[in-house]
Amino acid sequence: MAKYIGKRILMFIPMALLMSFLIFGGMELTPGDFVSNMISPDMAANMTPDELNVLREAYGLNDPFLIRYVKWLGQIFQGNWGYSLSSGVPVKDIILQRLPVTLELALTGLVISAILGSVLGIVSALKRGSLLDHTLTLAGVIGMSIPQFFFGMVAILLFALNWKIFPVGGRTTPDMVHWWEHLRYLVLPALVLGVTQTASVMRYSRASMMDSMHKDFVKAARSKGLPEWRVNLVHGFRVSMTPVVVLLALRLPMLVSSSVVIENVFQWPGIGVTFKEAVSAGNYPLVMMIALIIVIMVLIISLVLDILTRVLDPRVRLE
Amino acid sequence: MTFGEKRFHKKLDKIRRLEEEGVLAKKKKGSRALSKFMSNKMAMLGLVIFTIIFLACIFAPLLTSYRPEVVDLTNLMKPPSKDHIFGTDKVGRDLFARVLYGGRVSILVAGGGALGGALIGVLVGSFAGYRGGWLDKITMRLSEVFMSFPQLILVLVMVTIMGQSTRNIIIIFVITGWSGIYRQARAAMLSIREEEYVQALHAFGLNDMLICFKHMLPNALSPIIVNITINIAAFILEEASLSFLGLGVPMEVATWGNILNASQDMYTLQNAWWIWLPVGVVISLFVMSINFVGDGVRDTTDSSIQG
Repeated sequence: MAKYIGKRILMFIPMALLMSFLIFGGMELTPGDFVSNMISPDMAANMTPDELNVLREAYGLNDPFLIRYVKWLGQIFQGNWGYSLSSGVPVKDIILQRLPVTLELALTGLVISAILGSVLGIVSALKRGSLLDHTLTLAGVIGMSIPQFFFGMVAILLFALNWKIFPVGGRTTPDMVHWWEHLRYLVLPALVLGVTQTASVMRYSRASMMDSMHKDFVKAARSKGLPEWRVNLVHGFRVSMTPVVVLLALRLPMLVSSSVVIENVFQWPGIGVTFKEAVSAGNYPLVMMIALIIVIMVLIISLVLDILTRVLDPRVRLE
Repeated sequence: MTFGEKRFHKKLDKIRRLEEEGVLAKKKKGSRALSKFMSNKMAMLGLVIFTIIFLACIFAPLLTSYRPEVVDLTNLMKPPSKDHIFGTDKVGRDLFARVLYGGRVSILVAGGGALGGALIGVLVGSFAGYRGGWLDKITMRLSEVFMSFPQLILVLVMVTIMGQSTRNIIIIFVITGWSGIYRQARAAMLSIREEEYVQALHAFGLNDMLICFKHMLPNALSPIIVNITINIAAFILEEASLSFLGLGVPMEVATWGNILNASQDMYTLQNAWWIWLPVGVVISLFVMSINFVGDGVRDTTDSSIQG
């Protein structure tokens, strides 16, 4: 087990370096250079071109590409992530401020889709071939075919504009007293995000459940005379959940992509809105650093989930 | 005679009887996969919807006399009527024409991106899977990098670098979309590589390229085709999302996403349903029809999936 974890972490490091290398290469292709990206615009405005040139020399802008990459990586590790071109705020501050807001929405959406998807998938597998099963399968295909933002727009129209149950968008109001008041703002975007992710989780958990229902241990449990609900829910369900957890890990990149869209539909002030604004304003350092942070996070989480599923799977533990 | 043999003979008798009655002769006509596909109601429905929307977009000039970009300031935000069957938008452009002409661009972008990516993925993937070695290792790593990037983030980073234009969006879709097909082609080739006929061809001293692309690839193709259809559906949705964010095909070109982008404000949402509802329904129907067709093709070609 320890050997596997070590191997997996050793595989993670070159991946992360390759990612950062690609991002750095992308930064080189955009206008502006190291100095103008790394120094706050306020400071740069007070400097003479000569002073800037000294700085360029000091940062080694005349060095070859690879050496510049190593130096840039060193800066990242020291916590200098560059400055936003539009506001002059350090990129690190922006990311640290926006990231928790995004996680709040994305994790709620993930939980909703995981619960809804696996429950519906299992019900559909248990009632295989019934009207309910066909309806759910059809609803799943329809759900995968509707653009997420379109779904979000319709949800805003119905729940916020027509019935006025939830606010149209945003996350907080200035006159908020208790923290839980903003949960009202979370409900609609999280539901939309969760429901749009549900279809594929449902498809997968249905297939997984049907697969495990034909396994020998389920037959053994049934022949012991256990009640049917125990056979299905305890013996079948537990085993069929492992691939679903793997699926959730695999779908993580998709969750990030969707939450960028959903954040923009509901003007949820997370990293997705910041990212979209940075792309449309050509705010290169911000775009690249957000991309890098998101990719590294996705890598780390899938690493952890990979190890976790290994630990949870009894067949591996025996080795 | 054991029970098994008895059953076997019974079956033979039944087949002989059917043959004598001439039922089998009728049945044999046409490919088996095709008849299986034809009997799949959802897949046929999908094919019909897909064909209708596709042909309507291609023959747009025959179906409407309006141009998608012509502004008519005397007809602002008119609900559907006899003159404008889908109504008009905020600057008086005919929405039916915009949906049809926009479909051309959306389908071109998604189809071009998916087919281009598939071409690269199949060529690189089958050769890497067949040959192995350093080429395989490098391309595999590269595909892992592309797979762990959230698609939209990668696309937006590339939009930042390359700029927005219809051509660039297609190129970006090709670059971000090849890795899934690559992996599938590679995996298929890895399993076919050990088959006897490949070994035999090898022993004959046949050219590697010929073995790989002429003899092995056709046997790996049907799951790849399913994947291409899924990619087209995904790219249609992605083009729409990109345009919705205002970062896809430039706003002055009508695409399905751009039409929806223009109806984001609360006033339009509440008071002018004809601006956003028909486009949304057309996108959903189109993607759904592709998904149904893809499922149908998978069910007919993949013997491991039943029911």
